[in-house]
Amino acid sequence: MNITRRASAGTMQSSDLMVYVEPAEQLDIQIESTVKKQFEHLIRDRIEAVLRQLAVTQVLVKVSDRGALDYAIEARVETALRRAAEA
Amino acid sequence: MIPVAVPLLTAGERLDARRLIESQGLAFEDGCDDLVGLYDNGRLVATAGRAGYVLKMFAVDEAFQGGEALGALATALTSLGRAAGHDAFLVFTRPEHAASFEHCQFRLLVASGPVALLECGGGLERYLDAHRHLRREGTNGAAVINGNPFTLGHQYLVETAADQVDTLYVFIVREDRSVFPFAARYRLAEEATRHVPNVVLLDTSRYAVSAGTFPSYFLRRNDEKAELQMQVDVRLFAAHLAPAFGITRRFVGHEPYCETTAAYNLVMKDLLPLYGIDLVEIQRATAGEAFISATRVREALAVGDFATIERLVPETTLAYLHCCL
Repeated sequence: MNITRRASAGTMQSSDLMVYVEPAEQLDIQIESTVKKQFEHLIRDRIEAVLRQLAVTQVLVKVSDRGALDYAIEARVETALRRAAEA
Repeated sequence: MIPVAVPLLTAGERLDARRLIESQGLAFEDGCDDLVGLYDNGRLVATAGRAGYVLKMFAVDEAFQGGEALGALATALTSLGRAAGHDAFLVFTRPEHAASFEHCQFRLLVASGPVALLECGGGLERYLDAHRHLRREGTNGAAVINGNPFTLGHQYLVETAADQVDTLYVFIVREDRSVFPFAARYRLAEEATRHVPNVVLLDTSRYAVSAGTFPSYFLRRNDEKAELQMQVDVRLFAAHLAPAFGITRRFVGHEPYCETTAAYNLVMKDLLPLYGIDLVEIQRATAGEAFISATRVREALAVGDFATIERLVPETTLAYLHCCL
């Protein structure tokens, strides 16, 4: 999947996250989270899984998380990526 | 269900917003790009506005405070703001509300008396990262210049200040609210200081004398609110910009004309030493009997008096004024 424009998904609510994606030369994932110390690596795993599944290799993903669960992370990341891809 | 804040578009909705904002002792400000709100059974219970990259007028009905209202407002405003091309947002609020914003991933930049300034989107980090390569060792100073346009007075200030430090950072005010646009003000400053080898020029972004930190500078009003904004602006500089560049001296021209700038200098004199920064006030350069100021240049320009302008600006600025106007 080719990322051709900026897009976002999610909310700033507790137990949710905001995902921002934009076109980039390589893969770059930036994570802000209220539970960054404990869970950054797990959040990153979830994001990378979605990227693999959609075959996205060139994108900047910025995440601002407030303790979202795995399924919320996956759904928000996938939504943002699909919004940012070529139609 | 997660509450969703919606744009308030009709006159009636905006009147609801105004009432809610004023009921909480806040002033309703016209001129917002977006106004959003949250309804509960047809009643507006939370509202906030966005002007460019500044989020403001957050007002939440007491019964709905401490819940999801703030997140809903911030989500809606930042989404609209991002669609308008911004990627970081500042918010002014009272210190007692700062924690609520911090829960929504805002970062507290400055707390000063009754005001707190927070940012969401990591703009300050990106700004400092992008300029990290300009960091020099040694005793460093800074001057913040609008340069509207760049005069012999500015040039004298830069030359005199540069003599007293290893590196002088000259921050050109980024905000485009002046007669001359940023690109022109920056280029004129660059041309007029090129001969001073230890000057590093950079833009302030939104982190000094901007609509986010110090709107009164552009409005030229002198009141309590302006003084609070000055304090926020000075603390932001002292706590974030100065340490990033190793700045221990701030240089200003003494201010005989503009009350706002004179008051700003006083605030700096009070606050900067608390952060280990010395304020150095330099006597303004004169042309004839009067001090040089950009205001005088603009006044002369308005009546096409180039004989006066010639005595006030460097050749580079003069050439620009001749060819561009």
